[in-house]
Amino acid sequence: MILEILQWLQGSALAVSVSERWFPIVESLHVITMAIVAGTIFIVDTRLMGLTSRSLAFTYLSERLLPWTWWAFACSVVTGTLLFIANATGYYDNGPFRWKMILMGLAGINMLYFQRVTFRGVSAWDSGDPPLPARTAGISSIVLWSGVIGLGRWIGFTS
Amino acid sequence: MSLRAFGRWLESTSLSRVIQTTHGAIADIQVVHILALAVLFALALNLALRIAGRGLTQESSASLARRFVPGIWLCLAILLLTGALLIVAEPGRAIFNRIFYTKMCLVLVAVAFTFWLSHLARRREGRAPRLHAALATVYMLLWIGVIVAGRFIAYSV
Repeated sequence: MILEILQWLQGSALAVSVSERWFPIVESLHVITMAIVAGTIFIVDTRLMGLTSRSLAFTYLSERLLPWTWWAFACSVVTGTLLFIANATGYYDNGPFRWKMILMGLAGINMLYFQRVTFRGVSAWDSGDPPLPARTAGISSIVLWSGVIGLGRWIGFTS
Repeated sequence: MSLRAFGRWLESTSLSRVIQTTHGAIADIQVVHILALAVLFALALNLALRIAGRGLTQESSASLARRFVPGIWLCLAILLLTGALLIVAEPGRAIFNRIFYTKMCLVLVAVAFTFWLSHLARRREGRAPRLHAALATVYMLLWIGVIVAGRFIAYSV
């Protein structure tokens, strides 16, 4: 069933157009948007770990940078989907692709847990040293997003 | 020594052979290359925004430049090192490729802009003039050009 849907997607006019004509441009846009996503997340995460931007409140830094992260993430989902449908059956079977999706899911869970639990007490450490749970969320996020970027590159070597 | 002979010599060096024959070495070097690029791009974006009078405005542009520009240089050093290793591993992909030279020219101009914007940021007080916003836009377009050219190298081998 899944394979049939993927084959249908891959055969669509949009997928064929991406595959035959637009792939390098869509891939370039995907790299640019992923660079903004990962780069801005790393800046916020290193603040969360108490390593950088200590002169700025955590809430201020995240309010200024995370809109860029979300917009770039939305664009990278669109470009990533276009790249995926160009070779849907191939990517579906690709180990690094599957692991990339899993790590993105884990990064999402890490972010949700941080927002719902750790962030509630932000007023106590907003301008000072973040507590251990915040530092843990920061380092987990850096590891997970580095994995997402790394596996994204590995897809090209295994598909 | 012709360019072709140089490429053949580079390919025959022991470093090149080690990278070529180690499973996943080229992919792993590319991963480090892209991670450094992502951090550089985000730092450059913040510098450009601050130069244009936006972004992290609670901090002076001089202070932001002092914090972020060294990070840009560190990322650039990692990019040059990993880029050099990729050229040593596969000289043919780069040294006969016009897009590679376009990318290098864009990198050089982007480096000059980093010096320039850093200088402007450290000296400026008060509101950002329009010219600074235009320079910041050109600066980000240069890095976008570097990324696009880098990706297109693979399609023009």
